[in-house]
Amino acid sequence: MSSDTTASLLFELGTEELPAGTLEHMATALCKGISDGLKAHGLAFEKASWFATPRRLSAVVMGVTRAAADSSEQVLGPPAAAAKDKADHWTGAATGFARKHGITPEDLILIDTDKGPRLGLQRTVLGAKLTEVAGQVLSDAVAAIPVAKRMRWGRGRHEFLRPVQWLVALLDENVIPLELFGLTADRLTYGHRFHAPDAIALRRADDYQAELRNAWVIADFKERRQLIREQVMAIAAADNAVAVISDPLLNEVTGLVEWPVALKGSFDNEFLAVPAQALISSMREHQKYFHLLNSDQQLLPAFIAVSNIDSSRPATVVQGNEKVIRPRLSDAAFFFENDKKTTLASRQARLNGVVFQHQLGTLADKTQRISALARWLAETLDADSTVAERGAELAKCDLVSEMVLEFPDLQGIAGAHYANHDGEQQGVVEAIEQHYWPKFSGDALPQSKEAAAVALADRFDTMVGIFGIGQHPSGSKDPFALRRASVAIIRLLIAVDSPVGLAAIGKQAVTQFAEGVLASDVTASVCEYTLDRLRAWYEDQGISVGVLRAVLATGNDNPADIDRRVRALNEFAQSASAQALAAANKRVANILAKSADDLSGDTQAASLVEPEEILLFERLSETKASLPPLLAEKDYRGALTVLAQLQAPVDAFFDKVMVNCDEADLRRNRHRLLTDLRNQFVSIADIAQM
Amino acid sequence: MIPETFQELILRLQRFWGSHGCVILQPLDMEVGAGTFHPATFLRAIGPENWNAAYVQPSRRPADGRYGDNPNRLQHYYQFQVVMKPSPRNFQQLYLDSLTAIGVDALEHDVRFVEDNWESPTLGAWGLGWEVWLNGMEVSQFTYFQQAGGIECFPVTGEITYGLERMAMYLQNVSSVYDLVWAHTPSGPVTYGDVFHQNEVEQSTYNFQEADTDQLLKTFNFCESEVLRLTGKKLPLPAYEHVMKASHAFNLLDARHAIGVTERQRYILRVRTLAKAVAQSYYDSRAALGFPQADADLRTQALENQT
Repeated sequence: MSSDTTASLLFELGTEELPAGTLEHMATALCKGISDGLKAHGLAFEKASWFATPRRLSAVVMGVTRAAADSSEQVLGPPAAAAKDKADHWTGAATGFARKHGITPEDLILIDTDKGPRLGLQRTVLGAKLTEVAGQVLSDAVAAIPVAKRMRWGRGRHEFLRPVQWLVALLDENVIPLELFGLTADRLTYGHRFHAPDAIALRRADDYQAELRNAWVIADFKERRQLIREQVMAIAAADNAVAVISDPLLNEVTGLVEWPVALKGSFDNEFLAVPAQALISSMREHQKYFHLLNSDQQLLPAFIAVSNIDSSRPATVVQGNEKVIRPRLSDAAFFFENDKKTTLASRQARLNGVVFQHQLGTLADKTQRISALARWLAETLDADSTVAERGAELAKCDLVSEMVLEFPDLQGIAGAHYANHDGEQQGVVEAIEQHYWPKFSGDALPQSKEAAAVALADRFDTMVGIFGIGQHPSGSKDPFALRRASVAIIRLLIAVDSPVGLAAIGKQAVTQFAEGVLASDVTASVCEYTLDRLRAWYEDQGISVGVLRAVLATGNDNPADIDRRVRALNEFAQSASAQALAAANKRVANILAKSADDLSGDTQAASLVEPEEILLFERLSETKASLPPLLAEKDYRGALTVLAQLQAPVDAFFDKVMVNCDEADLRRNRHRLLTDLRNQFVSIADIAQM
Repeated sequence: MIPETFQELILRLQRFWGSHGCVILQPLDMEVGAGTFHPATFLRAIGPENWNAAYVQPSRRPADGRYGDNPNRLQHYYQFQVVMKPSPRNFQQLYLDSLTAIGVDALEHDVRFVEDNWESPTLGAWGLGWEVWLNGMEVSQFTYFQQAGGIECFPVTGEITYGLERMAMYLQNVSSVYDLVWAHTPSGPVTYGDVFHQNEVEQSTYNFQEADTDQLLKTFNFCESEVLRLTGKKLPLPAYEHVMKASHAFNLLDARHAIGVTERQRYILRVRTLAKAVAQSYYDSRAALGFPQADADLRTQALENQT
């Protein structure tokens, strides 16, 4: 991929094993740093690719221009007016400028500028030479790699995520002179630790991927990921099973191997009596195994491990892994059986010993607050308040079970199993498990209103509590995950079609705290923060900020109602009349803003003169009659359809009627008509804001 | 060749690291929770002086006792500890060679370095490194020390800790630690159970039921005041022994559930404060000696910074 005018550039940072989760992020940053560095020097290229394995971060840039084109630039000197004195001699300013640039004043040219003609010169800037700038581009790119936690090694002062072992920097066949981390760049790379331990001298940059493949290294992260996916799926398919491949686990496994070889292992059937999530968690978190399901979605007593070796005796690797997972599953089984000896409800007392946040009390305090709040919410949502309250009372109890202490991601799940075992109502069992839902962006929502009530109570309690003690999230700091909590609140309120808004619930949440614990303006800040999340949430769904702004301008704070209006308005915004009506509304708003008249009274039908204003008045009266039932039904689509019919009369009105006429009574009456018109729109959304 | 006995495993590791430049030390004669507490690791990680050592360290974790009933958990077990300062460039390779020396063929087994960052809140120490996986089983810890006793480590000490029982169980293919063959003797094989089972039963009983908590609290307080008194007298080594004693007393109190959740954090901080005081005192005492085991350039730098 090189020619007389272009070259291929290879850079590889050889390291001791990097943390699996960081590879993609670091390698893409390295590649971007190199690409941006080349571009900044005016050096174009055809293609930049990144590579990442546990032992290397690298980039190959192909078809890089060897030399950037020369360019020319103007240098401005003193104003032309100051170039010569009265005797037509060059002034000091002119000769000084010329001298500075090593020419005589006669060689200067006149350049026209905004501020009049100036003396100046035109000169050629030589383009950058790849060979001259490559080293610097590489060092700058390495320096810009984001390193989560830096370390030192040996007796050096250099820092990186793990010790750096070698550097490869090639421009086609030549080594780029470069020193980093106390190492000198060369053409020597290393293959797989065990399959190809010897150094490999790369002849040229373009050989990189192929040479590594010969040395048992799949350098391309995405290719390796796909290979693992295929291997895992093939093993599962051979057993008529389905492997569950989550993206985070797949990425992590990809970051742990250079030469993936997937292998299947199994464990005793008896462990299947333990909650499946505990087994899955053991396999996934500790061992990075993929688990298998049968066609009925039931967990199978088997797993797929991805090794980093084409073992001379694969059975050794399989048996070894089976040996590790057995005691882990035994632990889970032991905790499960042991926990069941105590009822979930009886664990409540122990929540007194667990601090939620020192100003906001223990988990027992929190439990008390969210129980009362969940009860109120359930009543408000017309759900079973006894179930919601009981669910909230038990929601946090599994946090002091052995199982959750060992497997934190089983919170909720373990509690639901224990509650079921204790004979709690099914609604309570579900509320315990589902009050953590949605666990992440896009996760499922609670399936009952009672569970949603507990989920909302828990989040509102945290929101008003943390905001109330002044620990608002700032920048990247959000230790209580309030951003996620507020998005969850939005989704939950929409899902249950809440009849009440954020302020009402927030106020109720605040009353659960002792007086003086929380700042007085906390409800307002929680509402504002939560409503602020709507913008990104709707943008992700392709709904414009303008639509949301138009709805929010009405002062609505109930996400369920906001959502209805936003969706109706978003549909309406695509229609032909929307733009015209939005413009008309803006015009109306402007006129009214400048109006000095008393606009509070009704439009006087008798005082209307022009046929267009009479028509608008009549149409508006019809509209006003048909809107209330639609609004009562929250049928905003229907309401907007009715309002859309006003477009023609409105347009005709502005075409023909002189609104700001000199005659005071006439003007005031017209302003009142417009006020009336605008009020009808604003009852749904202020479309002038679109 | 895989070592057939527990003692052969230890001997092989000692011979390997002895032949790669490590001082083979004997275990510390005090109760500690891990090989890292041995002055040969914790104190030697401080300051500019070079140091290479390997040793077995009996380790006690009172809360891990299971009365001899659990095949994997012990309140007294062994670690094989290697420290090299500065960490050599081929440290990982040396470790892999040591696996070969104990019969692990890296082309048959799946050997992996998996991110694991180490932190000891009581020692005010942390480092970055890996746990080493052998077919998915963690068999060693591998750490580059960045800080010890609150003092930045320079040069960096590289530390390897082998879990000897776990490694031996793997090599001997037994599923209970008590079934490990320790040695072959004229009266037949002696197992780990023969050597230690009674000890596990009795010590678990002591740790969980019999340990005198009032006396332990007094011990903790006494050790704390001794550390402060002894560092004041520029006796960091005896002072450090009292840090270890305080730490062990705390571990026993913990096993007896004699310390509440919030109190627990406070005790950890108290031990850390002692460890930091000793670390500084040790550094100063080595400086007073002129850092005799340091490379000349680092010695000069460190002494200049000291004044």
